[in-house]
Amino acid sequence: MPETPFEPKIVAFLCRWCAGAGADLAGTSRIAYPANAVPIRVNCSGRVEPEWVMEAFRSGADGVFIGGCHPGDCHYVSGNYKTRRRIYLLKKLLAEMGIEPERVRLEWVSATEGAKYARVMKEFVAELKRLGPLHLEREEKTMPASPVLPRVGS
Amino acid sequence: MPPRPRIAVYWTGGCGGCDVSFLELGPALLDVLAQIEIAFWPALVDTKRSDVEALAPRSIAATLVNGTLRTEENVEMVHLLREKSELVVAFGACAYQGGVPGLANLATRDEILRRMSGNGFRPSPPPGGEAEDAPPGLLPQAKSLADEITVDYVVPGCPPMPPLIGLLLGALLSGDLPAPGHVFAHDKALCEECPRTREERKLTKVVRPHELVPDPNVCLLDQGMICLGPVTRGGCGAACPKAGMPCTGCVGPTPNAGDPGLAMISALGSLARAGEEGPGAFAAEDRLLDALVDPLGTFYKYSLPAYVRTGKRSDR
Ligand code: SF4
Ligand code: SF4
Repeated sequence: MPETPFEPKIVAFLCRWCAGAGADLAGTSRIAYPANAVPIRVNCSGRVEPEWVMEAFRSGADGVFIGGCHPGDCHYVSGNYKTRRRIYLLKKLLAEMGIEPERVRLEWVSATEGAKYARVMKEFVAELKRLGPLHLEREEKTMPASPVLPRVGS
Repeated sequence: MPPRPRIAVYWTGGCGGCDVSFLELGPALLDVLAQIEIAFWPALVDTKRSDVEALAPRSIAATLVNGTLRTEENVEMVHLLREKSELVVAFGACAYQGGVPGLANLATRDEILRRMSGNGFRPSPPPGGEAEDAPPGLLPQAKSLADEITVDYVVPGCPPMPPLIGLLLGALLSGDLPAPGHVFAHDKALCEECPRTREERKLTKVVRPHELVPDPNVCLLDQGMICLGPVTRGGCGAACPKAGMPCTGCVGPTPNAGDPGLAMISALGSLARAGEEGPGAFAAEDRLLDALVDPLGTFYKYSLPAYVRTGKRSDR
């Protein structure tokens, strides 16, 4: 059976002031980039809760992209700094959970950087293709208990 | 006099601390024992599985199960007890959300068995013993009680503290029962009952408990200790913060907090500061957060099976 190539699923949280506008610009400028991401527009990257990132993974995403404003450009002054610290901690947690931290990508994209949005999205898709699909452990109730090992010394 | 309610207390993959916790009731325990009949309590009286099997369905008023579910036998026993009991209570952090033994879910069952046999342990019958004397098979993962059977109530804590045990016993003995699913602890965060003053200062350092003799009156989180009070249910009387130790979350998260680790990451990300915010502070902020060496073990010490779905491992 021919293998269908793996196309990673990405959830992209984009702030409306910078990254969201940058993604729009990539589109209106007709820059070609992979269509793997489902964009979700948020008011500020600082609104992106770690819970949402995990919910995306639990719902089948292979990667989560968060696009915020460049340092100093945040419409709400410091939302992007808060996001940076949260994502830093979340990546440490993911590593301990056996989920590659590279599956979460935080990028600063301004409203004029349509080309940058297209480039980082291409890079992210390539990275996720390298990592392969994310399989989360599901509790397998039907899995049998371990067999008893043979008796010692018999 | 109406018949005294039959109570059972059973341990699965626990440490015994939950059974011992009843002693903390002090003399009140004697009053309780005078009002109940013990149907089954392996830690306290000589009762066997066959005694439970002989009982009529639903003839035990309430069974309190402590410990995580880790073996085939644990699972058989809790199904048996469920059938024989009117009410089943998850007693303690292990039965509630997997507890400390649930941290073993970070390793695969094969890894655990290899490690045990490397240390000379083999899950096999003792020399000269029958096959049925062998230890029961290990489940692929540790699970909480509710993963297997319907749980009516929860008494959280590791082990549950006397005030919380008292709430359960009061309800059982008076017959004034809360709605199914009730957790015998507060819905509000521990910070509400903690006597330390919390100013929600910025988190400018992260220290481990052995690295600091904390100020006796100031919030531990404000002093850099990772205290889970903001996301953890109250009801324990804040015993740990009062003694200068940060809350490790044994009572479980508040309904508002949900996943305790993600809620803490959200809070710590907001509070952490290494000087004025901006690109110049990024490296110092990262170093500050690196001092939190084990986020997973810190945030899910008692609840890993309930919240964490690890990445798939090939040998599982
Ligand atoms: S909840 Fe704590 S005290 Fe109770 S069995 Fe588990 S580890 Fe022991
Ligand atoms: S010491 Fe812990 S429980 Fe007490 S106020 Fe501070 S964070 Fe809350």
